Amino acid sequence: MLGAFVRAFRTPELRNKLLFTLFILTIFRLGAVIPAPGIDSVAIEKCVQQTAETGASNIYALINLFSGGALLQLAVFALGIMPYITASIILNLLTVVVPRLEALKKEGQAGQSKITQYTRYLTIALAVLQSTSVIAMARTGQLFQNACIPEEYMPFLHTSYELPVLIMIVFVMTAGTCVIMWFGELITERGVGNGMSLLIFTQIIAEFPAGMMRIWSENPAWVFALVCVAGVVLITGVVFIEQAQRRIPVQYAKRMVGRRMYGGSSTYIPLKVNQAGVIPVIFASSLLYLPTLVVGLLGAETDNKVVDFLNTYFNPMGNHPVYLTTFFLLIVGFAFFYVAITFNPAEVADNMKKYGGFIPSIRPGRPTAEYLDYVLTRLTTPGALYLGVIALLPMVALGTSGAAANFPFGGVSILIMVGVGLDTVKQIESHLQQRNYEGFLR
Amino acid sequence: MAQTDTGAKSGERKRRTGPVTFTKQVVAELRKVRWPTQRELFTYTVVVIVFVLIMIGYVSLVNFGFGEGVTWLYGLVGQAA
Repeated sequence: MLGAFVRAFRTPELRNKLLFTLFILTIFRLGAVIPAPGIDSVAIEKCVQQTAETGASNIYALINLFSGGALLQLAVFALGIMPYITASIILNLLTVVVPRLEALKKEGQAGQSKITQYTRYLTIALAVLQSTSVIAMARTGQLFQNACIPEEYMPFLHTSYELPVLIMIVFVMTAGTCVIMWFGELITERGVGNGMSLLIFTQIIAEFPAGMMRIWSENPAWVFALVCVAGVVLITGVVFIEQAQRRIPVQYAKRMVGRRMYGGSSTYIPLKVNQAGVIPVIFASSLLYLPTLVVGLLGAETDNKVVDFLNTYFNPMGNHPVYLTTFFLLIVGFAFFYVAITFNPAEVADNMKKYGGFIPSIRPGRPTAEYLDYVLTRLTTPGALYLGVIALLPMVALGTSGAAANFPFGGVSILIMVGVGLDTVKQIESHLQQRNYEGFLR
Repeated sequence: MAQTDTGAKSGERKRRTGPVTFTKQVVAELRKVRWPTQRELFTYTVVVIVFVLIMIGYVSLVNFGFGEGVTWLYGLVGQAA
């Protein structure tokens, strides 16, 4: 079975795709260690360590996790893939609300590329906002919980260059975000797997070894073993649900076209229990990242009521019930929403009707669409609840003390790791099977 | 005519399903789901874990290399200045 990994590299076409993907991921990581201009990388390294040692529960730990450690380094790719994801959620949501966008979406290919274009513009706008907020926090030293002096890692502060350099950093980080966006599209187009998911996957696993090391060094060995066992159990659970399908049987009527006989076969429509995949989790966590962004923009030191409110209720480290509930509701909501925009029962029913297919005992056309909708809603309900529970389980189980966010097997990371892993492996598998090789999954 | 039309339509519109019925229907649908077999589950889990471990290994290697490289490079520049 594991020989399949080797065979994947023996197939020339697949090898090229895999190498291309790895190449892009490598450059992606390179950008995460190159500091933005004006930043003293040695000093900032020290600063990150100091912050970690003081154990100040860092609000930005979650964000840092999602940027693969690049944020606290003030790297060129500090913002990671998040602005792009946020932008695509916003546009997805707007497609439902704004009639013009809906019309564009129905237009097909041309309209879709227009929407993609809008997503890119929005990404740039978000990147400017976000990098400004990050720089503002770095300048006051708040990014590191005031554990070190800003002048150390930003030597240009209080000189006549201050403003131009700050503007330049914003430019560089925004440009970095654009490059990441391009990387994502390149991977989807020419590599293996979905670019956006793979990039976020890379960001998460980049921080994984450090998290495990922390657990190893700070706790007795049995805790480490327990964490590993819990991780494997969680992974198995996630795989179990991800693989569960409801197969709706479809019969194709026999028909004569000319002298040939067509159809007469029976297949099925696979409906996954969790049809939405990991996207809802990614969406929900990137939306919950907005409050922190606002806090950064307004400055946490002020006694602004909004900041106060956000800090009490939406602090990712606080595990406040309001935060957890919002997170849960967002995941469930996005699960339904994403299923609704990716699977259109009316369209599927229409296509089946066109090719003479029908679900036994259900009439083609509208009744079929209604039936599909019925089944889908009943499957998505437990699927969405499962996503919400898995994402929150570690946070609730580990309770307060901020241990949860440092826990490498956080629900969100597990879901993304396993979800993206499964998707990518399956894609490699289908490439292998095209060439009649045995895949991984016999 | 118009009246019978609207009448038919509102009659066709399904009444909202109550939470109890809905839960029953959910359970009924879940029973029809094809859950993965033990063997399948094992294979997929192992493959996913192996894939994730390979990726973690690769990314940490790259990280380590670049981290060292950047520190070295900037240290060099710092000494020269």
